[in-house]
Order: sequence, then structure tokens, then C-alpha cells
Amino acid sequence: MDIQYTGEQLIWGKVGNLLVILSFTTSLLASFSYLIFFRSNDYSWRSIARKAFAVQTFSILGIFALLFYLIVKHRFEYYYVWEHSNTIMPLRYILSCFWEGQEGSFLLWMFWHCVISWILIATAREWEGGVMFIISLVQTFLASMILGVVVFNYKIGSNPFVLLREHPDFANLPFIKFPDYLSRMKDGRGLNPLLQNYWMTIHPPTLFLGFALTVVPFAYAMAALLQKKITGWIRPALPWAFTGVMILGTGILMGAAWAYESLSFGGFWAWDPVENASLVPWMTLTACSHVMLIYSHRAKALLSAFVLAILTFFFILYSTFLTRSGILGDSSVHAFTDLGMTGQLVIYMLFFLLFALILLFVNRKALNEHSEEEHFSSREFWMFIGTLVLVIGCLQISFTTSTPVINKIFGTKLAPPSNPIDHYNQWQVPVAIFLCLLIGIGQFFRYKKTEWSTFKKKITLSVVIAILITGISAFFLGKYPPHYYALLFASVFAAVANLDHLVRSLKGRLSNAGASVAHVGIALILCGALISNSRKEIISRNMKNIDLGKDMSNKENIMIEQKVDTLPMGPYYVSYTGNEQKGVNVYYTISYFTLDRQSGQKKKEFDLTPLVQLNERMGNVAEPATKHFLTRDIYTHITYAELDDKKNPEGVSDYSPVKIHELAVGDTFVTSNSFVILQGLNKNIDRTNLHLNDSDLVVGATLLIEDINKKLYNSEPLFMIKNFSILTREAIINELGLKFSFDKIDPSNGKIRISVAEKRSNKKDFIIMKAIIFPGINILWTGCLLMITGSLIALRKRLRKKNIPDSKV
Amino acid sequence: MKKSHIIAIIIIAVAIGAILSTLADSSTYASFRIAEEHPSKTYHVVGKLNKTMPQEYNPQKNADEFSFFLIDNEGKEKKVILNKAKPQDFDKSEQIVVIGKMEQDQFVASDVLMKCPSKYNNPKEDMKTVSSNH
Repeated sequence: MDIQYTGEQLIWGKVGNLLVILSFTTSLLASFSYLIFFRSNDYSWRSIARKAFAVQTFSILGIFALLFYLIVKHRFEYYYVWEHSNTIMPLRYILSCFWEGQEGSFLLWMFWHCVISWILIATAREWEGGVMFIISLVQTFLASMILGVVVFNYKIGSNPFVLLREHPDFANLPFIKFPDYLSRMKDGRGLNPLLQNYWMTIHPPTLFLGFALTVVPFAYAMAALLQKKITGWIRPALPWAFTGVMILGTGILMGAAWAYESLSFGGFWAWDPVENASLVPWMTLTACSHVMLIYSHRAKALLSAFVLAILTFFFILYSTFLTRSGILGDSSVHAFTDLGMTGQLVIYMLFFLLFALILLFVNRKALNEHSEEEHFSSREFWMFIGTLVLVIGCLQISFTTSTPVINKIFGTKLAPPSNPIDHYNQWQVPVAIFLCLLIGIGQFFRYKKTEWSTFKKKITLSVVIAILITGISAFFLGKYPPHYYALLFASVFAAVANLDHLVRSLKGRLSNAGASVAHVGIALILCGALISNSRKEIISRNMKNIDLGKDMSNKENIMIEQKVDTLPMGPYYVSYTGNEQKGVNVYYTISYFTLDRQSGQKKKEFDLTPLVQLNERMGNVAEPATKHFLTRDIYTHITYAELDDKKNPEGVSDYSPVKIHELAVGDTFVTSNSFVILQGLNKNIDRTNLHLNDSDLVVGATLLIEDINKKLYNSEPLFMIKNFSILTREAIINELGLKFSFDKIDPSNGKIRISVAEKRSNKKDFIIMKAIIFPGINILWTGCLLMITGSLIALRKRLRKKNIPDSKV
Repeated sequence: MKKSHIIAIIIIAVAIGAILSTLADSSTYASFRIAEEHPSKTYHVVGKLNKTMPQEYNPQKNADEFSFFLIDNEGKEKKVILNKAKPQDFDKSEQIVVIGKMEQDQFVASDVLMKCPSKYNNPKEDMKTVSSNH
């Protein structure tokens, strides 16, 4: 029997499904037509391909618009809308719904491919056929990820328009059998509060644009191999490769900024598998673009350019596989869940890998002809060594990140390193040292060949300045292990050498200085990372505690009681002044003071308000607060706070549940803030005010209360029997927040029962917090900005250069 | 010998180095039984919190010490001493991974990973609370 559901709007889903299928078939058609076009050079096929691609673009925009509409209108009959949004979500985070779910993030990726493709269709000229064949093919695979069609019992993709009541998690629930189930639903599950953060609205789209851009060098390389024009692709693909380096790099750094500002691990980089999964393709793309640069100057290293373009795209696919197949499982915080697409992702990855390898193999002869040795004193030789160092760095990161994959394939039980940061750093610090040295000396070599005497003359100044700066900073920074000194020197040298190049060789002409500025940026990023990480100081040490020995030396957290403690932390005195709840967030005010030596007075410097988000879905999430100074940051994070009262503020009375005491005269008991004695029973109570008759009974319990400051209070709760029923009258001491009640007299032993309730605010609120000083973090952020600016300058110059021959045509 | 050969050798050498260092640094998923047999080695032990046993956390004395009882996947129970602050929402966790080693019948953990009933799983649970409101 079919149920006639009420309140659903199914038309949007039907249109959506149509568009999903259309996007798949048209990308397939586009890639097929482009294939025939570049094989036959028949322009009618190009026209078909372009039209198919246009329909495909339209479908993807349509899917976006539909999903957007459904989310704004809260159409919870659609699973995706229910899963990723709710009615109380701020509107500005609606776009974030697209990247919280897998389907939405595949859509975003496809959207960027469309944007890139139309630029290519407009500018790629003779390369359009081959390049667009590959991109359309990639697009076909991506479209299959949102298809949601079952073929031979295998579900291909996960469709964003699936109905809630048809989703496997819901299909058999009794709840779904109500025809009006929709109106019974309270709200959607809502967006993960971790994503409700400004960085999270810009980081994923930037990162996905970076991901999407890596397809261009790959597509050019494949097109070159397919068309046997193996050299011409470098020049048109080069600006794309550098754009990719810039955008992907920016995306990664935004992720780092997000981690630093709003995640709890206390830093900007944690070698998390998902972070690694985007860093590795960035490293190979950087290597690739530099090798392409070598080729464009010296017509060398062509094979390396091919291999690196393929490797970059492969790593993008591999990282998609790692983060979306659910294989990372426990080892990462941000891995997506398994939507049962592992097989599909593996096929996607292996298809393009085999495709590329076969094409390389077929063209091996042509590729070999171009290999020739470079001279030691040439810039290209050292650039090449630099790319090699990058690739070595990638190999190590990939291998450790892949332990879950290795476990899956070989059935081993390897766990990630117990100290991942040390593990990665022991490899990546040397990699960074070599890279910095190469970035530095590279500026003093010319392409082809350099006279050693001029090289020595030019490099001396930078080396001397770098040694001086390193020496002075080392003096201030204190003791380091030797390889840290090496990295300090190398990064300073790289920055100085590139500045030197900018000033002396380029005479300050900024339009040519893109590479130098970007290199200074990278050097500063590494230098800032070194200083802030190696000299970070955890100031929230537990001073109350005795030393527990070496194994227990993990003293990073400290307990502060509200308004009671002012604890010394590093150069500050810190107290916890209170908390305030706004929506799902509880803000804790932490005040930092300094001690004025002369007057002995504590002077308030600043307040920080880290927060804890009451998050039903993810568990409570703490978000740190950071005070930024020019030379250092002070990071404050709530490790633990009592939150039970906060979760349901209604239904909690002002007073805690009563405590009962059976007392004889002279007995005592304690409350959290005082000491109470039952002095006696008072039978001489004025009855008139109580409207009692002479036959009624009234007794008062005379209590003497002493608080912690030895101040005394009196209180007299009453016990009455009026017309054979028991009445009591409570006595309250507001100063102490205590409420006494005289409930019972036990004639058998002469004891009475007193119950006490305490104001909740009496229970001292405390938090456990962590505070870290990060010095020199601004060196890192300055480096980020310089790297991005430098890349933009270089790109502008390259695009202009490219336009000159174009304008002649 | 050509430079490309030298380069190939360097890459292979580094790759082997990376593999060896990963194997040396990586810990292993294991049970309390195995951790007891090798008391000096660091293991990842996966298990569930025993909610009937007491948890000790006295932040006034030491905010970085927290102890609880964990039942591993083989059903063996051990007291775990974590050298960190008590994680927020610890009691809600469904699955716990402790990283550390055995010391005198106690598992001394340097870190703990928790899987909460959260993120993406079990919408049925959510629906129950939703539908019971009607």
C-alpha cells in the first residue's frame, strides 16, 4: 500500500535528478566529442563538444541553485538538506552546507572545473581538443560520484536529492510511515558548528579551486602525449601551474589559520593526514612548475615535467581517496564518512594513473631524446635538485600518511607514530633546510652556466648578512639542537639572498620581482614556523603541584576557580572572572594582569574569551581565544569546564537539591561555605503572625551559622502542626545563599530533621585551561602574504608576456 | 655514471629510509594482554569505558592526571592513567583509543582519542528524540 505523503515538494528532486544525470551524460558526450575532434580535426565535433559542455555547466549550476533553494526553504524531505542544515543556522553559513557533505564538495569541485574549462575553451586554441577531452573525462568521473544510480547491485555515487524517507537510514523507521511525517519533524540536523566559522566559509572553496587547477597541467601533459606534440604544452600550461601553486598554497594556509584560530591543538599545523593530503600535491605541483620553468628557459627536464604533472594529479586523486573513502577513520579529525564509494574512488584513481603511465610508455622514445646533462654551475641544475628534495619530502609524508592503506592491503596492524609531530619533523626539517639553501643560492646562478668568480662575488654579501642575523637571533632565542640552527640560518639566508637579488639585480623593479618576493615569503613562513614552534612556551603550568617526576611531566593545564584564584603564568597573573552563554556558545572571561614592581599592584592588561560550544552532534567543542601582539601571541584554551547546568538552563532551580541532616541539640553540620550548629529548640514563637490557634503546635530550630570569615548568622526555620497537618516555614540567609527547612521531629530519639539547600552559585565554578605563548608567529603570516603577493606579481608578468605573441596572431 | 642514475639511487635510499623510520616510529594496535607482555613498548589500545567503575580527576592537585577503567576488545579491564586533563565529554564516548604502555598493572597513557556518538553516525538516534517530542 502506498502512503500518500503530505507537505512534500517532490518536483525539485525530480528536476535535480534529471540535472544530475544530464551532467554525467553531457560530460561523457563532451569528452567523446573532443576526442573525435582532436583526432579528426573536424570542427563540427568541436561545436558538439562545446554545446555538450555548456549543457553540463548549466546542469551543475542548476543543481547548485536547486540545492541552495531547498536549503533556504528548509525542505527537510530531502536527506541532504536535513543532514546539513537547520532552521536556526545563520544565513551566511548556507554555502558551508555545500562542503560539509561529500556530494556538495564534489559539486563545488565540478563547478571550479567548469569555470577553468571555459577559460581554456576561450584561450587554449589548438590545445582545446586534447585538454578538454581530459578535463571532460575527469568531470565524467566526478559526475558519477553524485549519480546515485544502482547498476548490478552496485550503487554508483551518492545523490544529493535523495529523499529522507528513502534514505537507507530512515526507510524502515516507523516514524516514516506517518503520511504527515514531515510536519512531525522538528528541525534538520544542522551544520556542524565547527564549520560555522569565517575561515571555514573561504578555506574549502579556495582549496577546491586549487585542487581543480591541478587538472590543467595534467590535461596539457596528457594532450601533448596523445597528440605527439610533446614540447609545446609547457608554455601555455606554465601560468596555470603557478596559479595552482598560489591558490592551493593559499587554501592550505587558510586551513592553517583556521586551525590556529579555532582548533584546540594549539598550533597551525599538526601533520594530520588530511592536511598532508593537500600539502603533498602542493609540493609536487611546486616541483612541477619549477621544472616547467627550467624547460621554458633551457628546453630541458621535459620528462620530469611530465612525471611531476602526472604525480600531482595522482596525489589529488589519492588524497580524495584517503579523505573520502573512510579509510583514515580514527586517524584524522576531518575525514569524511564512508559513503560506500571506496571502489569507485579506487577505479577513478587507477584509471588516470594507468592512462598516464601507458601514454608515457608509448612516447618513451620521443621523451628520451630530450634528456641531456646540465652543468653544475647552471641555475637549472640547482632548481632541479630543489624539485628532487621536494619529491623526497613528499615520499616520506605520503608513506606515513598511508599506514591505514598499508594495513588494509597487507593486513598489518600499524598505528600512526605515537608522536607524529616529531616523526614528521625529523624528516621535514632537513628537507626545509635544503630547500631554503637552494632557494637562496639559486638566485646567484644564471641559466646554462655561471662563472664561479662572479658567483662567489655575488653570494658573499648575503652569506655574511645571514650569518650576522642568525647569530644575533640565536643569541636571543637561546639554545637549540644543531639542525634548528641550520634551519634558522638557511631560512634567513634564503630571505636575504632573494632580497639581495631584488635590490641588486632587479634594481627594485617590482614587476619582475614576483619569484623573489614569493621566495622571501616561503623563507619567512619556514623561519616563523621554526621560531614559534620551537620557542612556544606553555605558561599554564601547575604551580600548586609538586614535581611528579619525568613520566608525569605533562603539566600543560591548570585549574582556576572563578573569582578566587589569580595564578601566576609566565609573565602574567591570570584569573577567571566569569562566563556568559550566548546561543550554543559559553564564553569564559579570562583576565590577564601584570604586576607593577614598584607599587606591587596588579594591572589588568587584557581579557580573553575562549568559548565552549555545546554541540550535540560532535560533543562539546572548545574554541581558543588568542591575543595578538606584534612579536608574540597569547593563546588560551578551555580544556575542561563543568557544563551540565548549561545544557538545560530551564528546569534548574536556583538551589541545588537539599541535603538532609538528623540532629540533636548541640549537633553540627557543614555546608560548602559555612559551619552550622543546632543551638536549641524554641517553643516561644509568636503565634499571631502565623495565624495559629493555641491547640496548634509550633517549634523553631535555633541555628547558629559561622561562615569562612568567622562571621556569625542566626536562622530559625519553623515546624508547625496546624489542624493536624504539618507545615514548615523556611529560613533563608541570602548572604550565604543557604535555605534551611525544619521538616520533622522524631519523638523516639528526640532528633529533628533539618534540610539545607544551597544556591547553585555557591558551588564554585572552575575551569581547566591551557595558555601558550607563541613568539614570532607574525613572521609566518607575513611570509604567507608575501608568498601570495609574489605569486600574483609573477603571474601578471607571465600573462602579459603570453599575450604579446597572441596579439600578433 | 650519469647524474640521473645518482638521482635515482638517492631517491631509492631516501625511500627506504622513510619506510624504515615509519616502521620504527609507528606504534601498533594491540590489546592489554599484548601490552602486558611487552611493558616497555608503546601501544594503541582500543576499548570501551567501564562506566560502572569510578573515574578519578582531581584538578586541584594535578590538572594533568585523570584515571579511568577501560575494557579492551578482548574483554580485559585495566586502570588507565592519562597524563592529560580529563577530556570534555569523556563519558559520552563510545570508543576510546589509549596510547601508552603498561606499568605495574596500570596502563599509563600519554594520549587518548575518543569516538563520540557524533558527526555522521546514527541519525536514528536523533530521530527518536525528535519524534518523541510529539
